[in-house]
Amino acid sequence: MTTHPFPFDPQRAQAEMEAFRRKLESGMETLKRVGPIELGTTPREVVYTEDKLTLWHFRGDTPPTAKAPLLICYALVNTPWMVDLQEDRSMVRNLLAQGEDVYLVDWGYPDGADRWLTLQDYIDGYLDRCVDAIRERHDGEAVNLLGICQGGVFSLCYTALHPDKVRNLVTMVTPVDFHTPDNMLSHWARNVDIDLFVDTVGNVPADVMNFAYLTLKPVRLNQQKYIGLVDILDNPKELENFLRMEKWIFDSPDQAGEAFREFARDFFQKNQLMKGEVRIGGRRVDLKRIEQPVLNIYAEQDHLVPPAASTPLGDLVGSDDYTALPFQGGHIGIYVSGRAQKLVPPAIHAWLAER
Amino acid sequence: MSDKPHDFIDQYQAWVREGVEAWSRQFDPKASPAEAMPSADIMGRLFAGLGGYGDWMRSYAGGEAPSGPFAGMPSFGQGGPGMPPFGYGPLPGAAPHEQQRFDEWARVANEALSLPAFGLTREQQEEQQALLRAWIDYAGHYQRYQALLQGVHERANAALREQGPPSDADSMRSVYDRWVNLAEESYAEAALSAEFREVYAALVNAQMHLKMLQQRQVERAATQAGMPTRKEVDSLGERLQAVRRELRHMQGLKAEVEALRAQVATLTGTKASKTAKASKASKSAKPSGPAKGRGR
Repeated sequence: MTTHPFPFDPQRAQAEMEAFRRKLESGMETLKRVGPIELGTTPREVVYTEDKLTLWHFRGDTPPTAKAPLLICYALVNTPWMVDLQEDRSMVRNLLAQGEDVYLVDWGYPDGADRWLTLQDYIDGYLDRCVDAIRERHDGEAVNLLGICQGGVFSLCYTALHPDKVRNLVTMVTPVDFHTPDNMLSHWARNVDIDLFVDTVGNVPADVMNFAYLTLKPVRLNQQKYIGLVDILDNPKELENFLRMEKWIFDSPDQAGEAFREFARDFFQKNQLMKGEVRIGGRRVDLKRIEQPVLNIYAEQDHLVPPAASTPLGDLVGSDDYTALPFQGGHIGIYVSGRAQKLVPPAIHAWLAER
Repeated sequence: MSDKPHDFIDQYQAWVREGVEAWSRQFDPKASPAEAMPSADIMGRLFAGLGGYGDWMRSYAGGEAPSGPFAGMPSFGQGGPGMPPFGYGPLPGAAPHEQQRFDEWARVANEALSLPAFGLTREQQEEQQALLRAWIDYAGHYQRYQALLQGVHERANAALREQGPPSDADSMRSVYDRWVNLAEESYAEAALSAEFREVYAALVNAQMHLKMLQQRQVERAATQAGMPTRKEVDSLGERLQAVRRELRHMQGLKAEVEALRAQVATLTGTKASKTAKASKASKSAKPSGPAKGRGR
């Protein structure tokens, strides 16, 4: 005789499953009616392109009033549209509404031709030329740089190497200490033979990256999330929001092989940013050279960049004007949650306005 | 309604299977045009998740063998870590003795593959032997990884049983959600352990080693067929990137030289201008000189 760990009443259980199935069946009809899902809704124009890269300039309803242009530097993993997901969940739109003049680096989708791009090519090359393109449009003035996640790491390196071109630095969910005990990705990467990995795969396929992210919380992200989807199948608006997020999550670029090799080895495995040993194009990245004001925003429930990975930044930079701003939420919620819309862009704008 | 307590799970799983089949039919070129459906990706993930839910219900309601530790996990054809090796031994759910048979076969095969190669095709034989050894090595690491995941799953199950029937379990779904929390806690603990780190890295390294040897075989075949190879394309890409960097550097130097030239021109222009002014002043002074002189 089998042991039932939980004494479900079979009839009640069957009724629950019937209800679940009916909801799913009718939800399929809603799914069929959902049209194409678009990301990035704020009006924008191209101001600079190079290879796969596009530098976007956003247009707000009113002219910008900020003291300096604001350049958002996103990570290489995922597309940057998390910051402009939809009309009512858009950090970009909210920054524009505050009076910021917003630009965004869109790295594009690397292919075989980009296999040998290094971190120097990204930071001293693409990013620097984007900054120059913006400065040219603004009488050569320094920009405010807002780096997100890996883009925040790039922004730190860039500011340390080109301090005269950055007026204020904002980092969001940005790791500096890659060896905190709760950093699962770094923990897994520690003993992987990165050279063998990159020599074998070349560019790192987006599917491999997504697999790694999904296995951080495998049951929740691969199973429970889709059971939960059934709950909202009868709500077209919520369903569209879900599908939009789903599209963003899985619409990921491959990673240029050499840049991945350097980032995985020097940052994840050797934790060189923390030790002041990172070298970009032969030049040492000395975070003490960052003397401009720094605002570091981190998410308290971030499973990708735990707060402890981000908060040591204050001791590493040379700035006397360092502000740490915790946000009650996760790595993605800091951009798309309702609270984030109300809190984060105004906080960034207020901080910049004082400087 | 059936008297059998788990019929509803059978019905649910059959329904999910039918859903998957109906969804798959739209990709069959021979089938009649089907209704528009959302993207294949999302539907695939949705059905995988629903299937996993059914597996979970079966394992809990029936006291049967627990489902795979991470049922509903997508498979990754492009070589993601954790991908089962192609043609790997026993199927899921195989009896333990079948697993042992595979292990025994792998041991004997490894010994045979260590024999020296001979003759004209010695190098190719060695490559083939290395490839098969790498495949067996990867299969072994894959087993260790799966065993770790199975342990995580069992710990989560045990934790749920230890907690006893929840007083607020008004639905299977609420128990499922509770199980997910426990499974994730158990997984996070395991995933942050030194053992997991070592097993995970060994799995990825073994997989990459196997893939690299496979690539060598393909490269050899491509070379023999007169086809360009990935290695050659990579080599061209590397050189091209180096040339681009050099070009950027030269452009930077050119801009510097131009700036310096402009500075020099400004300086010499100023100097020339001063000289010219001085010269002009001197020239204009000359007539007055003699005039002065003449005036003397």
